[in-house]
Amino acid sequence: MNAWLGTAAALLAGVVPCGWVALRGTRLDALVALELATTLATLALVALAEGFHRSSYFVVAVVAGALGFVGNLVFVRFMESEL
Amino acid sequence: MGAQDVAVDVLLVLSVACAAVCVLGLLAGRAAIDRLHYAGAATGVPPALIAAAVVVKERGSSAGINAVVVALLVLILGAALTHATARLARGRRE
Repeated sequence: MNAWLGTAAALLAGVVPCGWVALRGTRLDALVALELATTLATLALVALAEGFHRSSYFVVAVVAGALGFVGNLVFVRFMESEL
Repeated sequence: MGAQDVAVDVLLVLSVACAAVCVLGLLAGRAAIDRLHYAGAATGVPPALIAAAVVVKERGSSAGINAVVVALLVLILGAALTHATARLARGRRE
């Protein structure tokens, strides 16, 4: 296990508190927790790609960064329509 | 262990520390708008530090370029998403 994989594991461990907030908080709190979890997961994918020495894996992180934004924005728009 | 490896390790530790502060802020925040500050901060500093670590390690390869692209994507799109979420939170408060 190298430093990159350790970094990825530490970042993914940060998703657990986000899940706890999403479960226990309001829906707006859950949305904020989802945004932070998306960011952490994207960064973990970058660290995993470097940790496994596979440059092609970086494409997954690029796509996750873009689609994570779109997915979260869908939730924001959906909740705005409830106002 | 050369200076390059030390620099990479320092950048990685700093990025994890910044991400941990953001997660702790998410847990400690009282309202969603307070928590949003930490979620927004996580789109700025940790991606830049990880991209810097990859660039230091790979020195101009495609992996470094991809890491910088990811950091810029997360930074720019994250700022837009944080703004949209803040507008939603303000609308719910009014």
